[in-house]
Amino acid sequence: MAATAVTPGTRVGRLSVPGISARVAAAGIIALAVFLLPLFLEEFQNNQITRAPVYAIIGLSMNVLMGHLGQISLGHQAFVGLGAFVSGFVATELGLSFYLAMPIAGLFGAFSAFLLGLVALRLRGLYLALITLAYGAVAEESLFNIRALTRGGEGMPAPRPAEFQSDRAYLYLSLIVLILVLVIDWRLVKSKAGRAILAIRHDERVAATMGVNVTFYKTLAFMISGFLAGMAGSLFAHWQQTVVSNDFVLDVALTWVFMTVVGGLGSRAGVVIGASFFALFPFIMEALPLIPDTWHDDVPRWVPLIGAGLLLTTLILYPGGIGQQLLPVRRWLAGGPFREHKKDRKRKKQKAVEPTAPVPQELVHPPAEELPTEEAPAPAADRATVQDGPPAEPPPEAAAGDGQPLGTPKRGLLRRGFRRKGA
Amino acid sequence: MLSSIVNGLINGTIYGLVAIGLVLVYKGARVFNFAQGEFGTVAVFVAWILNTDPPGLPMWLAILAGLAAATMFGLLVERLVVRPLSTSPGVNLLVATAGVAIAAISIQLLLGEAEARVLNPLVAGEGITVAGIPVRPQQMIMIGMLGVVALFLYLFFTRTSVGLAVLATSQDPLATNLSGINTKRISALVWGMAALLGGVAGLLQGPVTVFFPGFMTATVLLPAFTGAVLGGMTSLPGAFVGGLLVGVAQDVGSQVIPEAVTGSAELTVFALLLLVLLIRPQGLLGKEA
Repeated sequence: MAATAVTPGTRVGRLSVPGISARVAAAGIIALAVFLLPLFLEEFQNNQITRAPVYAIIGLSMNVLMGHLGQISLGHQAFVGLGAFVSGFVATELGLSFYLAMPIAGLFGAFSAFLLGLVALRLRGLYLALITLAYGAVAEESLFNIRALTRGGEGMPAPRPAEFQSDRAYLYLSLIVLILVLVIDWRLVKSKAGRAILAIRHDERVAATMGVNVTFYKTLAFMISGFLAGMAGSLFAHWQQTVVSNDFVLDVALTWVFMTVVGGLGSRAGVVIGASFFALFPFIMEALPLIPDTWHDDVPRWVPLIGAGLLLTTLILYPGGIGQQLLPVRRWLAGGPFREHKKDRKRKKQKAVEPTAPVPQELVHPPAEELPTEEAPAPAADRATVQDGPPAEPPPEAAAGDGQPLGTPKRGLLRRGFRRKGA
Repeated sequence: MLSSIVNGLINGTIYGLVAIGLVLVYKGARVFNFAQGEFGTVAVFVAWILNTDPPGLPMWLAILAGLAAATMFGLLVERLVVRPLSTSPGVNLLVATAGVAIAAISIQLLLGEAEARVLNPLVAGEGITVAGIPVRPQQMIMIGMLGVVALFLYLFFTRTSVGLAVLATSQDPLATNLSGINTKRISALVWGMAALLGGVAGLLQGPVTVFFPGFMTATVLLPAFTGAVLGGMTSLPGAFVGGLLVGVAQDVGSQVIPEAVTGSAELTVFALLLLVLLIRPQGLLGKEA
């Protein structure tokens, strides 16, 4: 979805009219398919499908931590659960509206993340994994057993807002919140804080040397992750309409970790697809007519094994996950050529080696249809010509954001900087 | 007070044993191994299957088979998961070990159902009473085993050249490889040893409490990690002491924390972990090794 938004005016000139219309049509069909689907489904199916946007938001929350920062939380059930219970509490006991309960739930998630981050994120290494694991256990055993907050086994009621009572309407509400979260994540990555966070993931020590306040930005990223998790918890609560602590256990938290990795760390579209897949595949497997009736009871027992298998195969064979597979499509939608990533990487390598001698301008520049990343600095080739070629006149397009082709997305800023020096 | 300490020490031995396995992998591969508990559970399940009736093997044979299975599992994990990921970021390897644990637990669930069972002890009998706390023979074996393992590994790392090679590999694999040490073999050795140790821990714990799929991961892994961090994450004697301390702290915590608050064991572990990381993140006996 994020990909469709990126078509600033300067780039449109490079594409032919059929090219633009094909891309707009494709993006439109995808968006329409997602938004029209609920109209053709039964209420109970819409209810089941709501799990997908909720999981997608949780996945994006994990992605801020794992994809952007390079840390990991094994206790996300605590943040999501806390958000769910707080939201239910605010809506039921305090009688406030859902629209207030959701941000409050998010703030509680962010606050608990802040407290944990103060301890765990001062240290180098993945101590956050241990702290969050312990925090998750405490939340399960102690926090979610406080009767005033959770009403014990019967659960805390969480009424839906009046405008979104039906399952279909609530699914649309969840999709709207998901889009909101996607926009937040997109803007975050583009901001100064986003660049600092990516730099920390790449190398903490180098980032600190460059003047990045490592502990501050680590804690900030963890708080954003906690905020999104709390919001997802609120959405979860009012979807279920009763919050029970059994929904928030370690197994679920690990499923969320797995779906984020399978979706592709750092890739918004990949994480949304991966999360939706993990949310829906038990439901779809049970509904499939291919599976004999006697197996239906066994489906839930196979789910964790399938999840772990997918995780391990992704990590070992295709660490970029679904996001990496999607790259050609994503790039095409953003106005680039449809090309496979491997070939592209080779081209990029050749380019980095070639331009030692002055090269004619047309060759130096990326071919017209090849579009740059949104954030990349000027490519090595331009540098070389600017230094070697006596006229030393920077080409006009270079200033307009001419960059490297989208061969290596999310590789961080520092490595790019280093390579430029060497080239 | 005395009974609390005795009780805590007895419960802490299993934490110490698992913590030593965690430290071993951390020293050798710089990774938090979330599959360490599952090495034990696999051994217990294999021993239980062989000891129950159709095959009906004697207990000592079943235990040997369990240990062999755990070691095989560890070597397989090293070859199939750890080695391909050796150059990827730490997060990936950590998630991968968690994935291995979940895969192992779900296979146990498919084969053995979510039932609590009891493994036959190696030595039956009454045992002795210390400060009003009965100590079973199984628990005495466990305490002895913890001491032996800690001493053996301590000597392994400080007195043998293979131990030195393991440390060198964890610090700089490339330079170690250039000096003529086969780092792949070292990695296999570390994971095999850790899995064997995990199997020993599981087989000792199995008869003391009930066992169920994933019981080591569910009940022992987190306190063991806390013990390892308390000891300094790289120190074997530290893990030994840290594990025992966590056991004692849990017992004290269960008496100090009022009964209205549930989950005193988890609260104690969480508080201990926070305190260590806040005050002394290098642990009691930790130094770079």
